[in-house]
Amino acid sequence: MTERNRQKPAKDAPYPDLITNERFRECMRTPHDVGGEDDVPMQWEEKEEEVWEHNTFVTCEVLAWRGVWNAEERRRRQNVDLGNSNYLAIPYYGRWLLTAARILVDKQHVTLTELIEKMDEVKKRYE
Amino acid sequence: MSEIHEKHHAKRATGIGDPQCFKGEAGKAKFKVGSKVRVRDLPDVFYTRCQLYTRGAIATVTELVYESPPPEDEAWDNVDRSEWFYSLVFRQKDLWPEYPDAYANDTVETELPEFWLEPA
Amino acid sequence: MAEKHKPAPMVDEVSEFEVLEIAVRELAIEKGLFSAEDHRRWTEYMHTLGPLPAARLVAKAWLDPEFKKLAVKDGVKASLDVDIDWIGSMPTNFGTPSDYCNLRVMEDTPKLKHVVVCTLCSCYPRPILGQSPEWYRTPNYRRRIVRWPRQVLSEFGLQLPEDVEIRVVDSNQKSRFIVLPVRPEGTEGWTEDQLAEIVTRDCLIGVAVPKPGQTSNDPRPVHPAKNPYKH
Repeated sequence: MTERNRQKPAKDAPYPDLITNERFRECMRTPHDVGGEDDVPMQWEEKEEEVWEHNTFVTCEVLAWRGVWNAEERRRRQNVDLGNSNYLAIPYYGRWLLTAARILVDKQHVTLTELIEKMDEVKKRYE
Repeated sequence: MSEIHEKHHAKRATGIGDPQCFKGEAGKAKFKVGSKVRVRDLPDVFYTRCQLYTRGAIATVTELVYESPPPEDEAWDNVDRSEWFYSLVFRQKDLWPEYPDAYANDTVETELPEFWLEPA
Repeated sequence: MAEKHKPAPMVDEVSEFEVLEIAVRELAIEKGLFSAEDHRRWTEYMHTLGPLPAARLVAKAWLDPEFKKLAVKDGVKASLDVDIDWIGSMPTNFGTPSDYCNLRVMEDTPKLKHVVVCTLCSCYPRPILGQSPEWYRTPNYRRRIVRWPRQVLSEFGLQLPEDVEIRVVDSNQKSRFIVLPVRPEGTEGWTEDQLAEIVTRDCLIGVAVPKPGQTSNDPRPVHPAKNPYKH
């Protein structure tokens, strides 16, 4: 049985000899693989959808429709590539959104400076 | 727009569906319904959809569900090689040693591509 | 003291998520990756979605043993009878990219109860069931249901006897799942419409079972949106 509860390293950027093979495996574990981890009961809730959440979902599906990515690439980027801390820190559709932005840059459909300038321009519309 | 679309496997799924568009590409299936299989404990590198809780556990094949490239390849848009996907049933007691004896009949069903499986 | 110094919630401020969403969508359209019309058409398609087709599929299966066999064997084909074409209903003509086209209908019996999760993300059969509920997407549900299903189900108000096998279905690849629950007593002679009314979304996920007289999910708190999307 593999240990299912993540442990923090004893030291940041530890020396290589402090990393056991078991510890290495913990580090390589994909963030989305949460089945069986300990947790305590919570209040089950419904949620209203934000406009940006709806639009994000549609953007992601349409990007796949038009061949910019496939759904497995999207799942990999938003559920694993984002890294452990952002995986748990960012809302569900927030991860979809970051991933949609990232694919435009990674596949060189836009440059990062274009994206930065665009975000600044959008922000100014609301000032 | 068309240049992107041409390259993408979405094009070959048009009018057919995905995973239907990969039908016939996997060749002969290694396992059949009723086969006992063990999930291989392979390295975790960058991406997988094989849950850690299944690793090393024994399961029974309940269905050959479809053929498709494994997600580990498709996640980089590589769809050159398809495999059979199997639906597998695990006994909860084989996954979680502390699972109560009173509920020994409880199970988990999930799907894995062939490369994750070996005969048990 | 702490209360006094807490900054007031800035309800009118545009959020970083909103800014990024607009930027990404506008850039994608400017670069010709998709058109505004594509986006509008997908939104229109989203408006057609909800749990009713899946509820009708279950009601039909309860009334027609032959249809039940078809549903369990080929969920995609059976969906056509409730007007859901997994391949052609949506603008792509190859299905929805994120849901694929392999619906599996999991049949409960008096001795077997299915409940669905996606431990790796939140895969869900949107074309026949609509958008997933928030609780289904939480890491908490995904962590616990696969290992402590009886406890989690009891939190949803569902307690099952020892001799009933609980089967957790972990939707981790391209198949999508709905549960076909056991038809409850007290529904003899009911029409398809009457039956469909008691097959709620939660019954189709498997965290509830249909009961005569209950036509909606158990009430739960609803987290409000700052700028809600009106369906």
